[in-house]
Amino acid sequence: MNIYLPIAEMSESVFVLLGMGAAVGFISGLFGVGGGFLITPLLIFTGVPAPVAVGTSTAQLVASSVSGAVAQYNRNNVDIKLGVVLLGGGFLGTVIGVGVVQILRQAGQFDLFIALCYVLFLGVIGTLMMIESLQTVWKARGGVTPSMRRPGEHSWVHGLPMKMRFQRSKLYISAIPPFLIGAFVGFLAAIMGVGGGFVMVPALIYLLRVPTNVVVGTSLFQTVFVAAAATILHAGTLISVDLVLATILMIGGVIGAQFGASAGSQLKGEQLRLLLAGIVLLVCLRLGWDLVITPSEIYSLASPAGGS
Amino acid sequence: MSRRVMILLLILAAAAAGVVVPVFHEPSAFAQAPPSKAKKRAPAPPIAPPSLPPETVEADVSTRTIAVTSGYSGAEILVFGTIENSRQPSAESGFYDVVVVVEGAPEALMVRKKGRVAGLWVNTSTFNFNAVPSYYAVASTRPLEEFADATILDENGIGLDAVRMAAAADSAIRVSSEDLIAYKSAVTRLKQSASLFKRDDYGVVFTGRSLFRATIGLPATVPVGPLTARVFLFHEGKLLSRYQSRVVLEREGIERWLYAFAFERPFLNGMVAVLLALATGLLASAVFRRRIA
Repeated sequence: MNIYLPIAEMSESVFVLLGMGAAVGFISGLFGVGGGFLITPLLIFTGVPAPVAVGTSTAQLVASSVSGAVAQYNRNNVDIKLGVVLLGGGFLGTVIGVGVVQILRQAGQFDLFIALCYVLFLGVIGTLMMIESLQTVWKARGGVTPSMRRPGEHSWVHGLPMKMRFQRSKLYISAIPPFLIGAFVGFLAAIMGVGGGFVMVPALIYLLRVPTNVVVGTSLFQTVFVAAAATILHAGTLISVDLVLATILMIGGVIGAQFGASAGSQLKGEQLRLLLAGIVLLVCLRLGWDLVITPSEIYSLASPAGGS
Repeated sequence: MSRRVMILLLILAAAAAGVVVPVFHEPSAFAQAPPSKAKKRAPAPPIAPPSLPPETVEADVSTRTIAVTSGYSGAEILVFGTIENSRQPSAESGFYDVVVVVEGAPEALMVRKKGRVAGLWVNTSTFNFNAVPSYYAVASTRPLEEFADATILDENGIGLDAVRMAAAADSAIRVSSEDLIAYKSAVTRLKQSASLFKRDDYGVVFTGRSLFRATIGLPATVPVGPLTARVFLFHEGKLLSRYQSRVVLEREGIERWLYAFAFERPFLNGMVAVLLALATGLLASAVFRRRIA
């Protein structure tokens, strides 16, 4: 049963799309990740134009992060003040990101740019995760528990001006680093359609030393609003949000996530990470492969108005 | 009495046969240029009259609106027509060749070409066309090359090799003529793979001595707007007649509405997407939490 996607301007099997949403939802439930980094490349592989893949993925991101954010908020795991600072940066980053997408799209280099971004990010993250989880598995076998990395008591972060007190996180730090982190994550959301938790969470823990119990909640809080802003900006300036596609992906995604979450509780953390690292590297290789092999068609059509 | 009746009948029969002159109406009915129907019915005239009426072709298109529904994967329109004064003995005789060309409005188009840069395939050059038909379909009774020469096809814009593509002046100056041909053939190839350019060598079928029809498939992506349907009548490589008809295509249905909504109220579209996402996310967590608890 095919369904016509009005903005992607293509006809695709509704079951393929539902399945894709469910698979990504399953993975995001299993690993506790947003899944945007998988949905965008998958949509591009299906033939959805890259800008529409990114724009629609931001809408899916809102759906997949809001329930988590509400749950964390109810458990008082969100540092609202820190979240707002992150969000301020996030909005700025989103606006810049959408502007960059528009420029690259007009120059005809957006497809290349998005592929390079994904190859770079997925390659780095996949490799790091692979190494880390292999080490953990190795050490666990040797009976040695891995020691948590503890950075120095004071870093350059603490020397910056514009200090603010974040009660919930028990921090007294400059507002500049969280603002910049937020901006970078917002930028990533706008150009890649990802929540950026993989950047935000380590940055909050290692750079700002935010207590781990509020990290996830605050990160999700920021993701919901940044993804919402990115969705509206994508739709408003690039006409790249396909409501039909978004709806199908969301339905598949939320269902898949529930099954993923229950499956995840039966697997060990390091095994999960190893598995996720494998998936991330596979997607990365597939994207990189398309850039390197000689394409069967070296020409492509576009509308001069700035279409895909 | 019976003899009188016999004579009367004889006279009547003779009159009916047209032998006897003393009848009042139009004695020269057959001698003058007759209306076409009378000619066709004439029982096999031994020699063709010196001035046969020329054949003309007329046609129309079946559909005016395409419904783009959620299950939309393309639509078909029917182009049907008739040859006035057809001289072919039957539908199968192959006396005439008919070509149907359906063309969308010309639009600007940009072609990008990839090249290898540092081992990666990157869009390296672009070429602009000011006017390329958004859609072009040609259907004929048999392959065009079999009955018409390239000149006549080119003059009339018949066939995928003769599609009118106007290059933008600034782009045309920059490239060699071979490159221009390469860009044009790339447009044809890419549009063909998107089903926006198509040829059907046996797509026109005669269903009677003068009636013919052709089915033209429109893909889901066909741009809305005016379509021109042109019909050409050939006999032994000679273009006898042509006919042109215009159709305005409209898309309707919810998907069409969503498309218009996204372009006319883009920010509202984004807000709807966000609200939809929030509702889906919250609803799902509520539903599943209740199920688990």
